[in-house]
Amino acid sequence: MATMTTLLPGEDVPSSQFPKSKKGTLTLGPGLRHVPPSTILATTAGSLQVDHKKSALWLEFENGRYQPAVGDLVIAQVHHTGSDHFFCSLTPHTPHALLGQLAFEGASKKTRPNLKSGDIVYGRITKASKWEDTELECINPSGKADGMGQLKEGMLFHVSHAFARRLMMGTDKSGHSKGAVVILEEMGEKIRFEVAVGRNGKVWINSSSVKETVMIGRLLTTADEEHWDVEQQKKAVKKALQDA
Amino acid sequence: MPREADPSTNEQAFLLSALRENIRLDGRALDAYRPISLSFGEDYGTADVRIGKTRVRATISADVVTPFVDRKFDGVFTISTELSPMASPAFEVGRQDQTEILLSRILEKTVRRSGALDTESLCIVAGQKCFHIRADIHVMDHDGNLVDASCLALIAALLHFRRPDVEIKGEEVTVFSVREREPVKLAMQHQPFCVTTSCYEEGTILLHDATLLEEQCREGDVLISMNKFGEICQIAKYGGAPMDGLSILTCTNTVLERVKIFDQLVKDRIAEDEKRRDVGGLIAELSAENDR
Repeated sequence: MATMTTLLPGEDVPSSQFPKSKKGTLTLGPGLRHVPPSTILATTAGSLQVDHKKSALWLEFENGRYQPAVGDLVIAQVHHTGSDHFFCSLTPHTPHALLGQLAFEGASKKTRPNLKSGDIVYGRITKASKWEDTELECINPSGKADGMGQLKEGMLFHVSHAFARRLMMGTDKSGHSKGAVVILEEMGEKIRFEVAVGRNGKVWINSSSVKETVMIGRLLTTADEEHWDVEQQKKAVKKALQDA
Repeated sequence: MPREADPSTNEQAFLLSALRENIRLDGRALDAYRPISLSFGEDYGTADVRIGKTRVRATISADVVTPFVDRKFDGVFTISTELSPMASPAFEVGRQDQTEILLSRILEKTVRRSGALDTESLCIVAGQKCFHIRADIHVMDHDGNLVDASCLALIAALLHFRRPDVEIKGEEVTVFSVREREPVKLAMQHQPFCVTTSCYEEGTILLHDATLLEEQCREGDVLISMNKFGEICQIAKYGGAPMDGLSILTCTNTVLERVKIFDQLVKDRIAEDEKRRDVGGLIAELSAENDR
């Protein structure tokens, strides 16, 4: 990324920024809107990201509510149970997402999971549309849970959805974190803990002691709020481990 | 939507198990407050209080009205609270919910009924003209502990406010604008502050300055208002787990410590603000008020 273009809502994307590859159709991601014939408008304030290979354009922004998208891994909270679905909330005060009672590993009509109101699950979004209910599942197409399912014990921490996305970016070939968040890696060298990151801005952490869970959670939330860079994160992790 | 979203069972269970080990999620001590910031607006009588993410703004205004028939020698003092959806999606415009009723009631008891503001000094002509002091509390962001933040904002705003100066010549009353005469401070008799104590585990764990999550998980709460001399203005306990007399007594002791800190904070900030406004030391010269 040579220069970063920042757009305000209503601004046109300059045509010089369009992806260079000519083949294939242009894909628009979050925060952008196509106005025929050839204008692309920003619908929110954010920095413009371009993927030349995939011929994709999207805006990266920090604030606002999480918008479900197919394939996203999320942490949902069961609100109530219906006849064959669990009604889950992804974000507070928004319509519920549906989680099929049979969409769990090894679930059948007789052995369906017994989730109560207030339980949390890790799942993947299978349907996200403007007009229909969002749908979730806790099972792979191959029928395996693959880490999804109910999250027992542990603690849920709330971060911005941009930070959650950065946490989920993974590492590149040389082992550097793509999202520039190294807290979990640094902590993982010293402490054993389980973690699940939901794209809807929730991070679930479970470890053997309350103190460690709180420590990791606080580091993540403050790193998000105060926009720590990698160096600051490393320093903070070191300090937290010393104090513990 | 009239309800705050409930926290998950995991969060509730974790919070309680952490409290049993004397750990709070934000790393504070049990009786510690989040960082408090108090700032004043350009105009007299606006105070902005932030306790962590909770933010409350109090605005005071004055106008001249006819006093109540049965209280000829008293001015009028009203407090209005407003919880807008800006603070939290759980609040609705035009519909009072439990939080709002509780907030306005506690403020009324703490500040108005304890006689913090000397209403007699607001009288201009007995039975005919008096000042009406109106306090508006706006909650801008809600992350728990609204009552303490609102009370702090209200007292700070009242101390900061100046009403227009008046002159009475026989039957004629002149109200001077700010540009004609330096406005006058309100006569405050004492400065009460409210401190909320939340209790968990049947009253064995006591917390100050609970966040929204901690408030949602608590078993009960005690709201105690007092001034820095330890004079209690009100104690409110609306339901929740029972508490014995002794723990209420220990509560009042810790509350007193906290109230002293609040009082000092307000005093310091007011002094800072006065210094900032008093360019060239002219304010004392401009004032037409006599020392009583």
